[in-house]
Amino acid sequence: MRRNLKNLFVLGGLLLGSSLYAQEKTVTGKVTDSYGLGVSDAVVKTTSGQEAITDEDGNFSIQAKQGDLVSVEAIGLPSQSFTVGAGSEYNVSLKPTETVELEGAVVTALGITRDKKSLGYATQQVAGETVSAVPLSNFADALSGEVAGLDIKSSGTMGGSSNMIIRGFSSITGNNQALVVVDGTPINNGTYNTGDQTTGRGGFDYGNAASDINPNDIETLNVLKGAAATALYGSRGQNGVIMITTKRGKKNKGIGVEFNSAITVGTADKSTLPRYQKKYGAGYRPLTVREGGHPDNPYFTVGPGNSFVAQFGADASYGAAFDPNLMVRQWNSLFEGLPNYGRATPWVAAKNDPNSIWGTSTTYVNTASFSGSNEDGGFRVSFTNNLTDGNLANSELKRNTLSFGGDYKLTDKLKATANIIYTNNKGRGRVGTGYDGLNPMQSFRQWWQTNVDLKEQEQAYFLTRRNISWNATSLTNTTPQYTDNYYWTRYENYQNDSRDRYTGNASLDYKINDWLSLTGRYSFDNYDELREGRIAVGSAGSLGEYMYFKQSVSENNYDVMLNVNKQLTDNISLDANAGWNLRVEKIDRFIGTTNGGLLIPGLYSLSNSANGLTAANISQFTGTKKVDGMYARASLGFYNMFYLDGSIRTDRSSALWSGQQNRYWYPSVSGSFVFSELMKGSFINFGKVRANYAQVGNDTDMYNLYNVYTLNAPFNGGSATNPSQFKNQLLKPENMTEYEFGLEMAMFKNRVTFDVSYYNRKTTDLITPVDVSSSSGASSIFLNAGDMVNKGIEASLTVIPVKSEDFTWRLGFNFARNRNEVTKLAEGVDYLQLASLQGGISIGAQVGEAYGIIRGTGFVYDDNGNKVVGDNGQYLASATTTKIGNMNPDWTGGVKNTISYKNLSLSFLIDFQKGGDVFSLDTFYGYATGLYDNFTTGLNDLGNPVRNTLANGGGVILPGVKQDGTPNDVRVDASNGNGQGNPWGYLSGTSPRQAHVYDASFVKLRNVTLTYDLPQKFLDNTFIKKLSVSAVGRNLWIIHKNVPFSDPEAGLSAGNVQGYQSGAHPTIREIGASLKVQF
Amino acid sequence: MKKILLGLVTVFALNSCTDEDYDNLNHDPRNPEVVPASFLVTGGNTSYFYRMISTNVNQNIFRLVSQYWNETEYTQETNYDLEGRQISDSFWNEINMNVLYDLSEASKMVDTDVNLSEAQKINQKAIIDLLQVQAWQTLVDTFGDIPYSESLQGKDNLNPKYDDAKTIYEDLIRRAIESTNKINATEGGFGGADIIYNGDMSKWKKFGASLQLKLGIQLSDVDASLAQSTITSAVNSGVFTSQADNFTIVYPGAEPYTNPLWIDLIKSGRNDFVAANTIVDKMNSLNDPRRVKFFKENLGTGVFVGGEYGRATAFAGHTQISATLEDISYPGTLLDYTEVQFMLAEAAARGFAVGGTAESFYNAGIKASFEFWGNTTAEADAYLAQPTVAYATAAGDWKQKIGNQFWLAMYNKGFEGWNVWRRLDAPTLNLPQATQNPVPTRYTYPIRERNLNKVNYDQASSAIGGDKQTTKLFWDVN
Repeated sequence: MRRNLKNLFVLGGLLLGSSLYAQEKTVTGKVTDSYGLGVSDAVVKTTSGQEAITDEDGNFSIQAKQGDLVSVEAIGLPSQSFTVGAGSEYNVSLKPTETVELEGAVVTALGITRDKKSLGYATQQVAGETVSAVPLSNFADALSGEVAGLDIKSSGTMGGSSNMIIRGFSSITGNNQALVVVDGTPINNGTYNTGDQTTGRGGFDYGNAASDINPNDIETLNVLKGAAATALYGSRGQNGVIMITTKRGKKNKGIGVEFNSAITVGTADKSTLPRYQKKYGAGYRPLTVREGGHPDNPYFTVGPGNSFVAQFGADASYGAAFDPNLMVRQWNSLFEGLPNYGRATPWVAAKNDPNSIWGTSTTYVNTASFSGSNEDGGFRVSFTNNLTDGNLANSELKRNTLSFGGDYKLTDKLKATANIIYTNNKGRGRVGTGYDGLNPMQSFRQWWQTNVDLKEQEQAYFLTRRNISWNATSLTNTTPQYTDNYYWTRYENYQNDSRDRYTGNASLDYKINDWLSLTGRYSFDNYDELREGRIAVGSAGSLGEYMYFKQSVSENNYDVMLNVNKQLTDNISLDANAGWNLRVEKIDRFIGTTNGGLLIPGLYSLSNSANGLTAANISQFTGTKKVDGMYARASLGFYNMFYLDGSIRTDRSSALWSGQQNRYWYPSVSGSFVFSELMKGSFINFGKVRANYAQVGNDTDMYNLYNVYTLNAPFNGGSATNPSQFKNQLLKPENMTEYEFGLEMAMFKNRVTFDVSYYNRKTTDLITPVDVSSSSGASSIFLNAGDMVNKGIEASLTVIPVKSEDFTWRLGFNFARNRNEVTKLAEGVDYLQLASLQGGISIGAQVGEAYGIIRGTGFVYDDNGNKVVGDNGQYLASATTTKIGNMNPDWTGGVKNTISYKNLSLSFLIDFQKGGDVFSLDTFYGYATGLYDNFTTGLNDLGNPVRNTLANGGGVILPGVKQDGTPNDVRVDASNGNGQGNPWGYLSGTSPRQAHVYDASFVKLRNVTLTYDLPQKFLDNTFIKKLSVSAVGRNLWIIHKNVPFSDPEAGLSAGNVQGYQSGAHPTIREIGASLKVQF
Repeated sequence: MKKILLGLVTVFALNSCTDEDYDNLNHDPRNPEVVPASFLVTGGNTSYFYRMISTNVNQNIFRLVSQYWNETEYTQETNYDLEGRQISDSFWNEINMNVLYDLSEASKMVDTDVNLSEAQKINQKAIIDLLQVQAWQTLVDTFGDIPYSESLQGKDNLNPKYDDAKTIYEDLIRRAIESTNKINATEGGFGGADIIYNGDMSKWKKFGASLQLKLGIQLSDVDASLAQSTITSAVNSGVFTSQADNFTIVYPGAEPYTNPLWIDLIKSGRNDFVAANTIVDKMNSLNDPRRVKFFKENLGTGVFVGGEYGRATAFAGHTQISATLEDISYPGTLLDYTEVQFMLAEAAARGFAVGGTAESFYNAGIKASFEFWGNTTAEADAYLAQPTVAYATAAGDWKQKIGNQFWLAMYNKGFEGWNVWRRLDAPTLNLPQATQNPVPTRYTYPIRERNLNKVNYDQASSAIGGDKQTTKLFWDVN
């Protein structure tokens, strides 16, 4: 689309400053980018109306008068200007920045290049370097805090998904993720994680498919936020679009070669891991003599020779106080071949607690790219190898990306462009998530004995290669009761996966005349994915299992577009497109799981199933969805000051029934007024107000119209079950309406720039599987039910407090505040549950509340806001479930400092979130089982250990008031880990669920990058054109948070269920170095 | 301009998919929109059996409610925290969606199946109706008033109103009698696809009669005349006459069709349950020879110690569950000959003419139970000879005599044990030690109903006297 640029600047010239009368002369110069390479196709313009385009080396020549302001603009780079003085040679270096730019060319929907000043809607651009500075497996993670209104939440697992939400959640149960478009190709961004995974019941987070995009190939990234910006993408774009433009062939003499190499090492941030208490060991409670309790110490059972035996089966740390003089038969005494077999060992806290499993990860990213061009075309080829050796044993990710982009002028009028990216992704040993044994953090945060040493567990596994678990059922039955040896899980029950993906497009541009052209484009995104899961024979609660998942996913888009670009009069310009698009999505998936265990241990194959595979073990899903659309868009510009845009689109979707309504129309209109045109010479360098209104229609997923039965395993013939979610043939399209206002300004010689938007977005007739009384026969039914409003403010501000030849300090702020309200659900329904989650809570949409409230039992408060306790001194819980939290933040923001001195530049980003809540299943269970070093092991108001029995001066008085309003003075027993004496945990009649809801606010030092460009003089006599080295850091410091022992951002995976932690993984702090060389 | 036209022609050529082509894309090629009725009957039956037999604490805690078992470490369910564990939601959802709705769809499939004879249709529909009646009764006996007349209508009624429980009972009795009477034992039913009686319609007829007995007996305290007429109809029609008539599913013993207990007791590798002191103490005092069948002698021959109900009681040191119940293919039995004999004993004691005395049926019930569990006739006779067991001399009034033995005989059928306790107020159950929460007399309505069907929920709650675990059902008046 580069070709459009020339025309573009015919429309919108940049006229800054005032001109003085002077003699016209020829001014020459060279435009270079931050690498010192010539920038071709840059537009050079003077205030007196001259215009020139740079050649392949970046050279230009233009007629100008002394005093003329000359502006230089190139795609993806900020514009620069200089004033013509006495000289006649001016070199311009366009350095990419990562802050908001108000002017310059941007790529908008469908790859249409526009001058940013003409846009009537909000966009925010991020330079490719921002996402490639720190080697990451998922480019989206680098956007945290960078863009106002784009909320990125990484699930925190190795290779896990990132939730990408622009302007809040606008669909109740549908997809809310931003659309990612690479060089005009929409990218499938699904996770295809299981329902269990997204609701915390176990499974692997396979990451969203957009993480295949190689950060090193990204030239620029433009975030289109509102409906008016994305209307041309149809419903696909209604959650906002992240437009990625990849790097293209630079016009070099010969072949340009670039080499980047980076290494990072990552370690777990201790503040996001449990801090284990070191006072008490295994057990829930003292045992009675009948239960085998030892007469001398009832926390132990009786072993051979009247020895003390630890309670292996009790997965809690509410047992005997540690005492190095106490000799106890522990798990390690049970297994022949272990050094302590048959021996008692001192009763002490483990030297190596579970935090010791979090080793160092290393990520290597190496990219080599070659580019070249001549007057007829250019190309770029790059190869990237990304290798991550994870923090946990036996975990790794590998990704190889080969990309090619090129264009060629076939004739004067016909140009061909093609991009293709091949990615091969391999993962092994991803870490389980949620409440599941494959997630080690389930046990380590919730069910754990603090006396168990992980190094010894490691030794036990490697010595025997058996599942020797600390959680032996008893002295005589050593099979694990609930929890496997962690190393067994890592080395035997590991998964693996791979994805081969081809993404790209081919397009032809035919220039009919100087104002009319026709573009045809075919774009594709196809991948094949394999996932294999294993559970070895000998694992707790399993007879062995093998799972084989294979799917092919494809999306093909066919586009034809007619482009008009015409200067109607001297002061009126027209820019218009009309086009047609057909999108074909296909999916074909097979999942097979062995039945009843594995016959031959260690052989992972469906044919090794103990019993035959039945309908219950096989799942197939095949389908095609087609959507065709037609659209027209026109933009008129008047006097370079007023711009008016309108578009209309219609789509027809195969996912809706033609007998009801399968076609829908929607318009958009936007306008902008560059008022600074009237204020030339003032301190205002640029000013624009904009407004827009847009509608977007939307369809639904395939197969939401007709019920089908699930076939069960046969039993004397077939068996079938009705679906719990009923489909509905009468679904109509959804609708979204949005209006937006914005103001963009640059002042004080562009030293202060800002961009503010207000938007109001209403989604109606949302196609939603509405939860209904199951007496209807279904648990949910697809209906057009649900209206939501999102309104908010986005602001970004850049200040350059210091700017001199050698020293620049740039400060960027961004801020976003979104308020969501569910305004309507189905008739008679005021709460729609998105997920019922373990811990007796649910997350859902309630009329009159924000989308994503957390419901569960709450505290009972008196009129003064004190928590009320009952007669027994325990907190009272609300009689029924009530709103106890809201997953949406109040506001989010980021501050980025960039300081450069000569060839050295330092930038760091602090980002923050205020508000939002998260429920922790980890403290819900873990506070009951007493593994944390906190109030569950401390001293009470009497100065005694809280865990002493009441008779021995233990127990706690919970802060609050009694029902009569007087301060609570009832001391509650806290001596047991099983609910008969513990006010903190999960058990009945004790604390309300609200006790485990935490404020998710945070302040984080997210990124630090220090870069040194080797001065050109050292390179002059070498074949190296440019060399820079950087030191980078990511997730360096959580400056503030309120969630104990975990990162407030940790979650399950991308999706609509946020605000819930179960077996949360720690945040990995990464430090690295990178080298970039150009030849 | 020619080229533009060419372009436009291309556009419309590509765009020539018809609406019909598009509509066809919406039919899932891998999953059926129509299945034979027998598929859904099997689906509904296996769901019902699984739900009533499993001891997964997320699915069925009736063995805890009736205090046959106790939990070892995690005692939320033992202490009747129905709300916190969402016990009601899970049960209500399953019976409505995966039992009743499957069966109601099956009935429609029978109607439209052109391959069936009229007689076969009548028999199949009678079977389906009896299975529905059974599931409805279970729901009413658990909750009280429930949606019935307006239920199972999919999107046509998202907020079904609750019907009065007594009125539902009257309709269930009518349906049970009509359907039993419609069965023609000489015609075919579901044939080999019938996983309960393998196509033997005479057994379905006996099942229908026994179901009538079960409906009638439940009403005896509130509507003696309807109870009597229903029980009379049952006896005249012919209830179960031996263990061979039992409503039993024989599990093939390969997943997913295993004894549901095997999943939780064996496959899981967990040790979550021991015998509760409530039943063990009683059996010890009666010197009951069924102890070795119900439980393991893990504490030594003849030594049985139940866990103190409601307290965490270690797996070691307490009597554990019988290995018989842990077997992967142990059959699932719901309504059975033993239960029928005890119901008849109760009917006789209430003065209904059922062809025997309370004592004769009481003795038959105990003998049937011994037979079922594999005890010998001699053991049964000796047991019955004990003054503490013999009907004439056993302690208490007839309700206590029958109640105690009925409850013991319902071991492993937690739901029926609970019914006996509620109807006869015997035996005496314990308060759970940790919380002293009273034993529920009903389940509270699901949290989902409160959220999703609020208006009707509110009406029903006040109609039954408050949505509490201690509200008594309409038939539980004495």
